[in-house]
Amino acid sequence: MEFEPLDELERELRQAFKRQQAPLSLKRKIMARSSSAAKPQSHAVLWQRLAATLALAAVLSGAAVLHHREEQRKGEAARQQVLTALRITNRALEHMNKQLTAHHRASHE
Amino acid sequence: MAHDWQPDFEQLVDEHQSMVFSLALRMTGDRGLAEEIAQDVFLELDRYLSKIESAAHACFWLRRVAMSRSADALRRRKVRRMDLWVEVEEHHGAEPEERTSMLSARLEEMLANLSEPQRAALILRYQEDLTLNEIAAMLESPVATVKSNLQRGLKLLRAKADTHLKEFVRGV
Repeated sequence: MEFEPLDELERELRQAFKRQQAPLSLKRKIMARSSSAAKPQSHAVLWQRLAATLALAAVLSGAAVLHHREEQRKGEAARQQVLTALRITNRALEHMNKQLTAHHRASHE
Repeated sequence: MAHDWQPDFEQLVDEHQSMVFSLALRMTGDRGLAEEIAQDVFLELDRYLSKIESAAHACFWLRRVAMSRSADALRRRKVRRMDLWVEVEEHHGAEPEERTSMLSARLEEMLANLSEPQRAALILRYQEDLTLNEIAAMLESPVATVKSNLQRGLKLLRAKADTHLKEFVRGV
């Protein structure tokens, strides 16, 4: 649809309504906000991240189980050492007790 | 739909920031608000970029969203407008360049007093140099409505100009 020729007011309007230059900081603000805004991620990236998370969780769980078993093994070894030490001590005490008993009888006779 | 055009967001900002800012500024009359609107419009473009099919589509989209966001902002916020009349009276003996600048300021002030649809039609017509059909498509209004808004807006501006801008306007 055509317009009629411009009159004086319309010419003044066109002159007055020229585009104004945007503030110099506008582009910088837009680019900063654009880069900080969270971008929607593709399904492939999401699946990769999920797989990596699951693999990491599996590795950490395995390490925790191994660590727990190692601790159990060390605890059992320490317990066995203590029991052995107690048995040795018990035998030494029994031996000493027998000697004392024998010495006591000999002194009475 | 597949398309060959590869949009460059930064380049689009460079090319269209003045257009978007000017549309928002003339719609709202508030530089701070216009800058906020321009930022929001470009961030929305960034999210929508994969659906933009051509440079012309980007320009059309930016104009339409800038007008729409400006109208939304106006509804949310009453913009306090400066009274330029006293300032112009004080500069009555100014140099021609200053007088042109003051004329622009007065015309923008008069524009701010029009209704929102009239203002939108006039801005798209005289700032963006769009045709009636293009303005109608931009504002999603019937061509007849846009034509009526343009004519009424111009009539009101003429009446105000007759009263206040006789030194600038001839043959009205």
